[in-house]
Parts: sequence; C-alpha cells; structure tokens
Amino acid sequence: MRAKINIYLLEYAINSLFRQKYKSFFIAAVLTAIIFLLTSVFFITNSIKHELQSTVDSLPEIVVQKINGGRHYDIDISVADDILEITGVESAVARVWGYYYFENAGVNFSVVGIDEYEEQYKNSFAFVAKTLDFNKQSMVVGEGVKRIMNNNYYKEYFNFIKPDGTLKRVDIGGVFSGDTELESNDVIVMSKESVREIFNMPEAKATDIVVRVANKDEIATVASKIKLLYPDSRVITKDDLKISYQNIFDYKSGIFLALFVISLFTFFIIIYDKASGLSSEEKREIGVLKAIGWRVDDVLKEKFYEGFIISFFSYLSGVILALLFVYIFKAPLLQNIFTGYSQLKTSFTLPFVFDMQTLALVFFLSVPIYIAATIIPSYRCATLEADEVMR
Amino acid sequence: MIELKNITKIYEVNKNNMVTALNNINLTIKEGELVVLKGASGSGKSTILSLIAAISKPTSGEVIVGTNRASKLPDNFASDFRRDNIGFVFQKYNLIPTLSAKDNIILPLVPLNLDVKEIEDKLEMVLRMFHIEHKANQLVKNLSGGEQQRVAIARANINNPKIILADEPTANLDEKLSLHFIEMLKELKRDGKTIIVATHDPLFFDLDIVDRVVEIHQGVLA
Ligand SMILES: Nc1ncnc2c1ncn2[C@@H]1O[C@H](COP(=O)(O)OP(=O)(O)O)[C@@H](O)[C@H]1O
Ligand SMILES: [Mg+2]
Repeated sequence: MRAKINIYLLEYAINSLFRQKYKSFFIAAVLTAIIFLLTSVFFITNSIKHELQSTVDSLPEIVVQKINGGRHYDIDISVADDILEITGVESAVARVWGYYYFENAGVNFSVVGIDEYEEQYKNSFAFVAKTLDFNKQSMVVGEGVKRIMNNNYYKEYFNFIKPDGTLKRVDIGGVFSGDTELESNDVIVMSKESVREIFNMPEAKATDIVVRVANKDEIATVASKIKLLYPDSRVITKDDLKISYQNIFDYKSGIFLALFVISLFTFFIIIYDKASGLSSEEKREIGVLKAIGWRVDDVLKEKFYEGFIISFFSYLSGVILALLFVYIFKAPLLQNIFTGYSQLKTSFTLPFVFDMQTLALVFFLSVPIYIAATIIPSYRCATLEADEVMR
Repeated sequence: MIELKNITKIYEVNKNNMVTALNNINLTIKEGELVVLKGASGSGKSTILSLIAAISKPTSGEVIVGTNRASKLPDNFASDFRRDNIGFVFQKYNLIPTLSAKDNIILPLVPLNLDVKEIEDKLEMVLRMFHIEHKANQLVKNLSGGEQQRVAIARANINNPKIILADEPTANLDEKLSLHFIEMLKELKRDGKTIIVATHDPLFFDLDIVDRVVEIHQGVLA
C-alpha cells in the first residue's frame, strides 16, 4: 500500500457527504453547536479561574474591621498604629473606601481613597498614585466605570451626591487598569480626602485596616493577637477570603458542570442514533462496494474520511465560534451568569487565556468519538456477506 | 476454468423456513467459454453467479475459479479475488444513482490508490468500448435503462477481468437494446473472456457465439 493520500477515496467520501447534504448539514450543525457550547464553557471557566487566582493573589493578608451588633462600622485610625507594634507586622494601612450607588445606571462603584505618600497595599494603586493629581479634585476610574459614566453623559467629570444631598464634582483624570479586570472594573480611585467627603467620614476614622505580615506562617498568630487586642473587631485573613471566593466559584462551576453534562448528553444521543444503524441505502451501497472488490478496510477508510471531514470541520467551526463568542463578543447571555459572581452590575471582560489542553480535550471528546460512531455500524455491515447486504 | 463441485446452497430465511436454492450441483466451465444459464425465475441462476463471484458461500461443496478456491476465501481475499478476476453485471446494475457515470465506472479502482493517469487511461478505454463516452459526466439516475446497463458493463470491465458474469442482462431492455447487448458480448468473447449469462430470454438460446446452454430447474441442473 502506498503512503500517499488516496485522492479518489477522499473525493468519494466528500461526494458521499454531499449526496446526503441535508443529513450531513444537520449533523455538522449539531456537532458545531455542541462543540461551540463545550468550548465556550471551558473558555469561560478557565478565564474565571485565572481571574479568581489573580484576585486572590492580590488580596491583603489580613483585613481588620470594627464590628458592633454584627454590623460593620468605621474603625479608628489609631488602631493601625497599635497593630504596627505587634511583632511580625510589616505594615498596617487604614483604608478609606465605600460603595457608591449610581442611581441613574443602577450600578455600584467601589470608591477607594489613597494618600500620595502612603505605602499602597496594592501594586496597581502604586501606579495610580503616580498618575493621580492630588491637588485637584480628580479621580482615576476603571474601564467599566468610564463606560457607564460616558453612557450617562459624564465625559469629563462626575457629580457625586453627598449624604447631605449636596453635590461634589470630581474630574475624570484617567483610566485605571488593575492586576485583574475583575478588581479594577468597578473601581474609582481618588484622594482619601475626597472619599471622606463623599461618604461623610470623619478624619480619625477609616473603613478598615489592611495588615501585611512579613512571614506567611505568622498570619494566623498575628490575626489572633489583633483579635485579643480589639475584641470588637473582625479579623479576616486571606485564607478566609480565599475560601469564600472559592465557594462562590464552586457554585458557579456547578452550573457549568450541568451545562457540560447536557451538551455531552446531546452529543451521545446523536452518537447513539448514528451507531444504532445505517439506512437501507447506506447498507446496499456498502454491499455493492464489496461486491465490486472493495475490502472491509477500504470501506472503513472511506467512512473514516467521511467522519473525519465532518467532525473536524465541526470542531474547527465550533472552536472558532467559541473564541469569537467569548473573547470578542464577551459571551453575551453566558456572561450574565458571572455578574453574580463578581458582585457587580458593571460587566467585565473575560481575560484571554489560551489553553491548548482545553482545545485538546474538546477535540478528543468530539472527533474520535464521532468517527468511531461512523465506523462501527459500517464495520458491522461490511463484514456481512455482500450478497445478503445488497438485496 | 470454473468448477462447481457438489454445490448445495440453503438459504435460512428464518428458523422454520429453509430454501434449498441449489441442490448438489456439478458444473465445469472452460476458459473462454460463453455459457448461458437458462431457467425460470427462482430456479437458482443468480445463486450460481454469486457463488462463482465469492459474493456468497455454499452450504456445502466447493467452488474453484482458476487457482482460487472461491468458496473458501476469507473476506479480504474474496474482495481481492473479485476485483482482479470477476466483472459482474448485476440484474439491477447496482450502480450508485447519485454519482456520475464516470465515477461509477472507476469505483472498483478507487481503493487501489492508482495514479490519475492510469485511472484515466482505463476509464477512457471502457468508455469507448461500451459507447458511453458522451454520458460520462452525467448522473446515473438521469440515464436511460440501456445507458445504465452500458455503465454497469463498463464498470465490470474497468479492471480487465477474465470472467464476466451477467445476470438477466436483457430483462429491462427492449429488443433493439438487447441486440446491442449481444454485440457487446461478441466483443468480450473475441477478447477471450469467460462469460456466463443467467437468463430466461429466448434470444440467447441459439446464438452462434454461445458455446453451451445449461438448464437449471429448482436448483438442479437438467
Ligand atoms: N438471500 C436469500 N435469502 C433467502 N432466500 C433466497 C435468497 N436468495 C435467493 N433465495 C431463494 O433461492 C431461490 C433461488 O434464487 P435465485 O438464485 O435468485 O434464482 P433466479 O436467479 O434463478 O431467479 C429462490 O427460491 C429464492 O427465493
Ligand atoms: Mg436471478
């Protein structure tokens, strides 16, 4: 047997697909849809995992809040100085921030205050601190915020409504991009002074205190020391946060799993239907081919070509559609499932995570299985006596 | 030489329904001979052709074609045997209606992975020999019965086999086309092919090119 591709056999296979064009088209369409759905779900899950990992990585090691009656109150700034005294603590920064509800758009912004000379608890804020003009009434906003403000005709500035009902105008000085899309999308950064004004927070108070610990192994010890020092505080460690993030995510992956199973199920129904039998015409054709001298393996080779052409074509179109859908069109509809996760109403862009493993997994879940489903019934038919099959 | 030795063929329709299509048949056909198998419908003519082509296996007995024991060939060897030795013109032609005449004719060569040139040469030869060049690119389903038969004969000859089997070749043809078919038979006979025609058409019974008429009645040779 020669190694070169048998173009006549290939041509016959293509012809054979076109001869049953409605059936072929239907199978290709369904296969494409399933592969598209599977790949989209995998892409989105990967992106979120990536996003989540980065978010968790950028979380502060310890956050201290003041709690009274189970509710969260502003904390005294002096607490930060006391915490700094604890051995092992590298830094303790009082944060001034809050959620500002923008009624026109029905969206919450996270408004974060920073000081020019303070050590920033996030790398991305250090960058913002350099670009932000602290002398002016100015702010740097996340891309999602910028978009929403623009849509509401705030191109150059924004009017915050203070608790007493008066307005505070702040200019949009720049656009902010954080370590992850998820964390920066709904964020507004400005001077601590401005934030205090917007939320009517006294000079001596802060929203919470972020503590950095030099040695990771000491986080738990430091946390319990703070708790001892301030029994009315809630001390949240990175691990606690990680777990709660993880819980939210796992719940979401449950939905994905369901979607995943549904698509697999549909796929196998088609496979089952395909495997359960050939039409009498297909059988007769196999009988004729054998009667004029085709071997069983010639018939199977031809069926392999048919199965490969249709499933590989569907695989490519499904994957390309999924790439477009997730990364270019930002996964409309499926996106809605994630807005719950991010706790924002502003939409965020899924980061592009190219993962060969996902593509390979989808490939092996679709192409070989489909080919096998094409070949098996043909094999059963081709091994019968040609005379029996032809009549 | 084709030899059928003590051939019995029983079809098992179901457990309670066995049909004895051939009952202990012995038949020898020499190389280059043109034999007509004559018999009523259901007498077992097609079964004999199938056994010679190794398309089916006898219940007992032996079929020997040249150096091949056709009745004992494993499946893939049977395929090779058919491809290399047998040109079968089926009663219903067994063409693929949605392929062109040309694509039907080259079908036996498709698995061989031959060069385009080689296939084109062989194709051109049979197209010319059986006068179907002008219809080569038309879909078989759009051809007339006579044209379809010529496509079937061209396909049977594409690999230049030594043996031609024709099952009821004139059953679907009018008299003029039947005479055409006989012209083609003459040509094949001149080429030295061994030919077996299964038919109950009286047209064949006293042709000068026919060497022998073998009669069959309900699975037994007369
Ligand atoms: N595949 C089959 N299954 C069951 N019975 C068959 C089969 N093929 C042929 N027969 C029966 O065998 C007998 C001989 O058939 P056949 O060889 O086709 O006769 P002919 O070609 O002379 O008309 C008939 O009774 C026919 O019904
Ligand atoms: Mg018959």
